[in-house]
This record gives sequence, C-alpha cells and structure tokens, in this order.
Amino acid sequence: MMKPKVAFFDFAGCEGDQLQVANLEEDLLALLGKVDVVCFREVMKECDEDYAIAFVEGSCTRLQDEDRLKRIRENAKIVVAIGSCATIGGINSLRNYKNLDEVRKTVYGEKAKLFDTYEARPIDAVIPVDAYVYGCPIDKDEFLHVVTSLLMGKKPDIPTYPVCVECKKNENVCAFERDQFCVGPVTRAGCDSCCVNEGTICWGCRGLVDNPNENSHKEVLIKYGLTVEEAIGKFKLYFGWQEGKK
Amino acid sequence: MRLISKKDFSNFVNALINDDSLNIVGVKAKDQKFSFGPLESAGDLRLDYDVTLLPPKKYFFPQRETLFGYSLSKGFVAEKPAETKPLILVGVHPYDIAALLHMDEVFKDTKSDPYYSERRNKSVIIGVNIQKICKNCFAPQMGTATIDEGYDLMLTDLGNRYAIDIGTLKGKNLLAKYAKNVKTAYTRDIQLVGQKEHEIYAKAQQKLDFSPDRIPGLLEKNYEEREFWEEHAEKCLACGSCVLVCPTCYCFDVKDQPNLSLNKGERIRTWDGCLLEDFAKVASGENFRATRLSRYRHRYFKKGKYLFDRFGFISCVGCGRCSSNCLPDIANPVTLFNDLYNYTLEKGVKVGPPTSPEVEIKTEGNIDFVPRVAKIVKKTPMTSLETLFEIKLEDGSELSHEPGQFVEVSVFGVGEAPISVSSPPTKKGSFELCVRRLGNVTTKLHSLNEGDLIGIRGPFGKGFNPDSLKGKDLLFIAGGLGIAPLRSLFNYVLANRKDYGKVILLYGCKEPKELLFGEEVLSLEKRDDVEFKPTVDWCPEGELWDGNIGVITTLIPQVDFDPQRTYAIVVGPPIMYKFVIADLKERDVPDDHIILSLERRMKCGVGKCGHCQINQIYVCKDGPVFNYSKIKGVPEAL
Ligand SMILES: Cc1cc2nc3c(=O)[nH]c(=O)nc-3n(C[C@H](O)[C@H](O)[C@H](O)COP(=O)(O)OP(=O)(O)OC[C@H]3O[C@@H](n4cnc5c(N)ncnc54)[C@H](O)[C@@H]3O)c2cc1C
Ligand code: SF4
Ligand code: SF4
Ligand code: SF4
Ligand code: SF4
Ligand code: SF4
Ligand code: FES
Repeated sequence: MMKPKVAFFDFAGCEGDQLQVANLEEDLLALLGKVDVVCFREVMKECDEDYAIAFVEGSCTRLQDEDRLKRIRENAKIVVAIGSCATIGGINSLRNYKNLDEVRKTVYGEKAKLFDTYEARPIDAVIPVDAYVYGCPIDKDEFLHVVTSLLMGKKPDIPTYPVCVECKKNENVCAFERDQFCVGPVTRAGCDSCCVNEGTICWGCRGLVDNPNENSHKEVLIKYGLTVEEAIGKFKLYFGWQEGKK
Repeated sequence: MRLISKKDFSNFVNALINDDSLNIVGVKAKDQKFSFGPLESAGDLRLDYDVTLLPPKKYFFPQRETLFGYSLSKGFVAEKPAETKPLILVGVHPYDIAALLHMDEVFKDTKSDPYYSERRNKSVIIGVNIQKICKNCFAPQMGTATIDEGYDLMLTDLGNRYAIDIGTLKGKNLLAKYAKNVKTAYTRDIQLVGQKEHEIYAKAQQKLDFSPDRIPGLLEKNYEEREFWEEHAEKCLACGSCVLVCPTCYCFDVKDQPNLSLNKGERIRTWDGCLLEDFAKVASGENFRATRLSRYRHRYFKKGKYLFDRFGFISCVGCGRCSSNCLPDIANPVTLFNDLYNYTLEKGVKVGPPTSPEVEIKTEGNIDFVPRVAKIVKKTPMTSLETLFEIKLEDGSELSHEPGQFVEVSVFGVGEAPISVSSPPTKKGSFELCVRRLGNVTTKLHSLNEGDLIGIRGPFGKGFNPDSLKGKDLLFIAGGLGIAPLRSLFNYVLANRKDYGKVILLYGCKEPKELLFGEEVLSLEKRDDVEFKPTVDWCPEGELWDGNIGVITTLIPQVDFDPQRTYAIVVGPPIMYKFVIADLKERDVPDDHIILSLERRMKCGVGKCGHCQINQIYVCKDGPVFNYSKIKGVPEAL
C-alpha cells in the first residue's frame, strides 16, 4: 500500500493541537509508518502541495483565510478539522459577541483598519470538511482513532451524545453536586469527560451536540443558582459560532 | 444467623484482601459520596453508606469490556479476553442485590451471556442491610429494601457487632476459611435484625400513592397520552444519566477498535442507553425513536411494563439513582408514576387490577460473540448501491438457515451489520447476501474482493416458517431491498413448487435501474406457474420499461386472489407497510394471513443489547418475521 501523504495547516489558533500531535511519541512513530507527512508546521520547514489528507487547525477569521482554505480543499482528498477553533470556531468566536471594530482595536491597536477580520468561524463554514477531531486541545487517542479510521476507509466514530454519558461511566460526582456549573449536558462527548475526571467542570470545548436542549440546560443552570446572564455566559465561551448560526 | 464483632469482621475482610487469588471490592467514600472500589484495607469500608454513585453491575457488566481480541495477520484469529479473579463484593444493599437478580434473568433469557454469567458465577456477594437511606430511595415501596435471596452473606449492623445471615454454602465456607470468632446469634440478636429491617421501611421519604403492582396497568392505559408525556419529556437533555446509573439497565453498543497497526484490535461492548438520541437510528437516517417524548416514555415503559410482560417483575428496584442524577429532575419514577396515577384519576379512567403475565424463560446454550470465518466466493454488482455476495463458511459447514432469517456480518476492524440471507436453504455449499452500501460496515464490505474473509454470526431470528405455508396460495409483495429476504422464501417455494398453491410476486422499486435480481425476476414472466408483476415509481426518459408505473399498491388491484386461501408476505421499507396492509385489508385478507419482516437498529442479534426493541418485542429474536395479527396492537411496530 502506498503511504498517503499528509499535511498540517494552521489558521487562527494556538497550534496547541499540532503540539498534541507532535507529543504522540511512540504512537507518532507507528503512525509515521503508515503515512508520509509532507507538511507540518511544528517540525518541518519545506511544504509539498501534493497531499491526500489535510489536517487543518485554527478558525477562519479573515477573508484572506478563505482562499487558502479553498486551495487546501482542492489539493486534498480528505480534509480533517482539528481542535475547537477549526471544528466549532472555538474560543475565537467569543469575540463574535463583541463589536468587531472594538475587537480589531484591542488586537491591532492603531493599525486596526488594515485588517479585515470578521466573525471567527469553523472551517466548515467555508469549505466542506470530511472529519472532525474536536477538543481544546484535542485528545491524542481520539486523533489516533480518527487517523486509523480514515486509513481504513471508515467514518470515525465520534459520539453524538453529551459529555454526561462519559462522566457517568467514569463515576464522577457531578459538578452540580459540588456547587459548580457545567455545560457537559449539551457538549459533545468523546474526551472521556477528562476535565470532570480531574475534579473540575466541562467548559464545552468540543462544541454543542447535534441537537442540544439548551433551554432546558439554561433552566438547570439557573435552578442551581446562576443568574440568567451568567447562564448565557456559560454558553458563550465555546458555543459562539454554533449559537450564532441558529 | 451468626454474630461477629466489628473487630473480627475487619480481620475477616483484611484476611480476604491478603489472599492474592481474590479480588476484593467494597463500598468506599468518594468526594462526599460513595462508590464500589478495590479495597486495600478493611478500614476503607463504609458500610454506613446511603447509596453508591454507580451500582455494582459495573463488575459483571462493565462500562467497557473486550468481547474478543483479533489478529488479521493469518486470516482471522480471535483471542479470548484474559480471565478475571473471583470477585468478592462487600457491602451490597438489598435493592442492588434484587437488581442483580433481575439482570441474571435478562442475561440468561433464551441464550446465556457468557461474559456476564462467568463473572457472576465466580463472585461472592456480601450484602449489608441499609443503615442510612438516600433521600430519593423508594426501595421500601418496591419491596427491595430487604431481601432473603441473592446473597452469600448478609450483614446487619448491631452497634459493636454484625449479625451475619448465611445465604449459601459458598458464603458459609468463606466465613469458615477467613473469619475467626464467629458465634451463633442469640434470639434477641435475631429479633434485633428483624427490628432493624422493619425500621428501614419507615425511613423512606419517597412514597407511591398506590401499590406498585398496578404500575403495568397504569402505563398500559396511558401510552397514547402524548400531552402528559410531552410535558415531562420536553426538559429531557438526552444525557442518558438516568439509564447509565440504573442497576437494572443493560443496553449496550458493540464496536471494533483496531489498533494503529490495523491488523490487530478488539471488539468491545460499552454501556448504551435508550435515552440517547441515536439509540434507535439506522443507517438510512431513519430514527425509530426520534423524539424526546418517545425516548423518555420508552424508559418508563421498559421498567414498568415491557420487562414485566416478559419476566414478570417491575424492572425498577427503587434505588433512586436516576432521580438523583437527572439535572432537570424529570427522571424520578415515584413522581412520574404518582403524576400519571393522579392524571388518570382526574380523567376518570380506572386502572384495572394487577395482572400476572405468563413467564417462561428458557436458556439454550451460550451466546457466541465470536464470528465464524467465511469467504467471499463471488461478488456480483447489481445496481450502483447493491451488490450480491456469495459466501462460504471456511469450516465447510452449511449455514442451515430458515428463509427470512438474518446473519450478523463482520468486516473486521469496522464492525458488524445484520443482513438477511437472500438465498434459499435449498442452495447448498454457500449462501447469498444482497447488500446495500450505506454506512461503515456495508461500504467497507463493498470494497472487499472475492477471496477476502469476513465473519458470520447466526443465522438469527424467526423466519417465514415455510412449512406452515404449505398448501396455501402465496402473494409476495416486495418493495426495494425487501426483495432480499423475500427471495430466500420465494426461491424455496419455487424449489418445492408442488407443495404450494398459486404464487404471485409483486415487486416494486423506484426506477428501472434499481431493480434487484433483474434477470432472475424478469425471467419469471416466462413461467406459467408464477404470476409476476413488477412496477417502478417512475421511469426516466430514454430508459426501457414495459411494466407498470406507479407505487407498489397500484399492483394489488391488478391481481386476483382468494383472501381466505392466500397468505400475503410483505417486505419493504417501513412506510410501505401501512399502505400495503390497508389495501390488503380492503381485499378482505385476514390479519393472520399477512406476514411481514421488520427492520430495526441491531447490535447483538440475540436479544440482549436492547437496540431493536419495539415496545415489548425484540425484533432480532422474536422476529424479524412477524405475523401481522401479533404486532398490529404494538404501537411502535408499524
Ligand atoms: C433483520 C435485518 C435484515 C437486514 N437485511 C439487509 C439486507 O439483506 N441487505 C442490506 O443491504 N441491508 C439489510 N439490513 C440493513 C442493514 O443492517 C444496515 O443497512 C446496516 O446495518 C448498515 O450498517 P453500516 O455499518 O453500513 O451503517 P452505519 O450507519 O455505519 O451503522 C452502524 C451500525 O448501526 C447498526 N445499524 C445501522 N443501520 C441499521 C439497520 N438498518 N438495521 C439494523 N442495524 C443497523 C448496525 O449495527 C451498524 O453496524 C437489514 C437489517 C435488519 C435489521
Ligand atoms: S459533571 Fe457535568 S458532564 Fe458530568 S454529569 Fe455533571 S453535568 Fe454532566
Ligand atoms: S470535559 Fe468538556 S471542556 Fe473538558 S475536554 Fe471534554 S468537552 Fe472539553
Ligand atoms: S437523566 Fe433526565 S435529562 Fe438525562 S436523559 Fe434521563 S430523563 Fe433525560
Ligand atoms: S429506574 Fe431509577 S430508581 Fe429504578 S432501579 Fe433504575 S435507577 Fe433505581
Ligand atoms: S431500553 Fe431499558 S434497559 Fe435499555 S437503557 Fe432503556 S430502560 Fe435501560
Ligand atoms: S437486542 Fe440486540 S439486536 Fe435485538
């Protein structure tokens, strides 16, 4: 079997996900046996335009990004969005709630006019995406699962149910019983509820499930003591783009 | 009854812990709550707990377990998962013991689940009577706050000592081997135990307004009360918490997990639950329980009616875990049943007296989750989506199926899918599967070649029973892929033509190029012992078609049959049934002369995983072939 050529690209994000991939160590070695990495920002300088699978990290925040994304789409057979920013717009879309001019000023100061940033969006708002590796940062095992699935020609098995499912299986004490507030009930599982396992909460980095019951969950947050504003705020951190689409 | 001082009891537990051949698990504190976990010292035991986060079922039916490992370097070799040590569970409350007894019934119904039963047989249950009751517990109402079976030893805290009731010889021997200073209990201690057990009943804070034996009847009356159900279900987060924490829920999912080398991996099963959105969704996109209402209602019916009809017990032991874990607070069975009871009273409807269903649980052998290896001997593309596969079992044996039965086909590393056998049992040496490319397994199957290996489990389910149709006139009605299972019976009938009366085949598909088994069926037009009528919904311009144009029901008025002598065998997509049955009824075909094959999401194929359930019916085991008279009263069936 010819090894498929693989490339990694980054847009607005922190490159934390590429770091996760670089951290795979032995697994990366096994993986490298199966694929040929032709472009990887973290570890190589030269980039080849001929690749079958493109992993894209970061959200699209400017018009110029769109052209680059479209070129990637044309070159690659399979486009995989990795990380919160690329899959759901991520933390970048927090700014979608603010006036964009203000955002530009805070970020770029006096030069703001030169940059035509717009609402941060996931890459599937611009080009069709074949597979997603959710999370901020992504989970190594899930990344490997997605790659293995793609190599086998199957659709990766990404949960459609919320984080609570994994949280219950892990026998955690629910955040709400620890006087904390969690958006696990509307967030797509797949991370093995890792944050709650560590005694914290789910912030929603994997984005909303396909059919979230947001009203009911906001009621829950309020019932347990948040104000309406605070409850809405809980949804803003990661769900900016997904909420805005509705 | 025996007595042991608390100090000697601790020594007993420590002696068990020190025996490396055993796995000792007990109730421990976990962040202000409790859970079952491995015991390192008797001092960690908290027998004064109220309820554990998860029930002890996790030791017999774990959240994730390996069914088998596989290696593909030499064809397909399955490896059994490693043996586990005998398990001793310390501190199980009576309601959780009752729940395990329920699970035992479920896992041994028809065929026994070897993974579950092996762990159960190797375990010892040391129960403890409830000392503190959790605020949502209603075990006293369900009659499970105390129990007199299902344990090897049962403890009752009597201050500075425990009373021990010996339930089994296994328990007695364990005590004899590891415990010291065990005395026979005095009458007053026995009385004290009775008193303690009695006190628990007064402690419950949750109370049903009526006797629990009326739950099945109450539910039955209210299935269609959509307004009632919707009002409760609209808040459901589809988070599955209520079923995942339930000691009597047993639904699971099965998946393949290849490792990075791709030619090794595991087939695993994991907890699943009917409250999750995709639980009943199939590859075509159809979701048989698509609404919150239908999923929410299903759980209550499952607990209070369906399993009752099947096993004779209400499948809720009143532990209260679901209530404690539902954030919008809609999963509490006591609140729901009381609401439903009062709703019914307000409407002036009377709930009948309790009934007792006829229960007959038989166990015939073990389930084998490991497939048999089989080879694709021939691959014949039929349409752009469907391919016919001829399959031979590698060990040379016959599949020996009945027309209408299905097999679970494994594509290693990808998973399993149920596929009807589409050849008749009269075909020897190999069998045929007609497969539509839709999702993961079917797509990968299409990419395999002649000579490649796949796995086969089965045949499963109830078929058409061709003997029962002998001497009758047969009206076959097939829509689209429905021809696949139907063909196994149709060709069987042709092979035994003299045993049957008049034979009619009506076959419809969307357009001419989607016609399956084209040559084979079109050649039927030449036979004078079969009446054959094909139809297409439409024919694009330029394509050749000289048959009927119109949906399948337009063919029914075109054929002549005697409804009293005729059996109609109908297989097609779900929406077809309603219309075809209505037309058959119009022609006075009696209900019990209509035979159908139903499709539902399937995982295990053997009546365990819960996916294919329609009300109280398991399609994989009780079907897929059903007599219409048996399912017409089943609300979710058609
Ligand atoms: C009794 C029975 C007989 C069938 N006979 C045939 C046949 O002869 N030819 C044919 O092409 N198809 C048949 N099907 C449908 C076939 O099982 C599904 O198309 C197939 O499971 C899709 O699997 P997938 O992995 O390709 O799809 P995915 O969408 O990837 O599905 C994943 C898993 O979900 C389950 N699942 C999904 N769809 C269905 C479904 N429709 N029915 C049951 N389980 C499902 C399976 O376990 C499957 O592996 C039959 C279904 C049943 C229940
Ligand atoms: S902690 Fe969060 S994810 Fe876990 S069960 Fe509670 S709400 Fe769900
Ligand atoms: S628990 Fe929530 S925040 Fe944490 S990784 Fe999972 S989805 Fe992201
Ligand atoms: S726990 Fe409550 S919200 Fe979650 S699935 Fe069950 S009923 Fe719905
Ligand atoms: S339904 Fe609820 S109360 Fe009943 S056994 Fe299950 S978790 Fe316990
Ligand atoms: S179908 Fe029954 S056993 Fe399965 S999850 Fe639902 S209530 Fe539990
Ligand atoms: S119960 Fe598992 S497929 Fe029917």
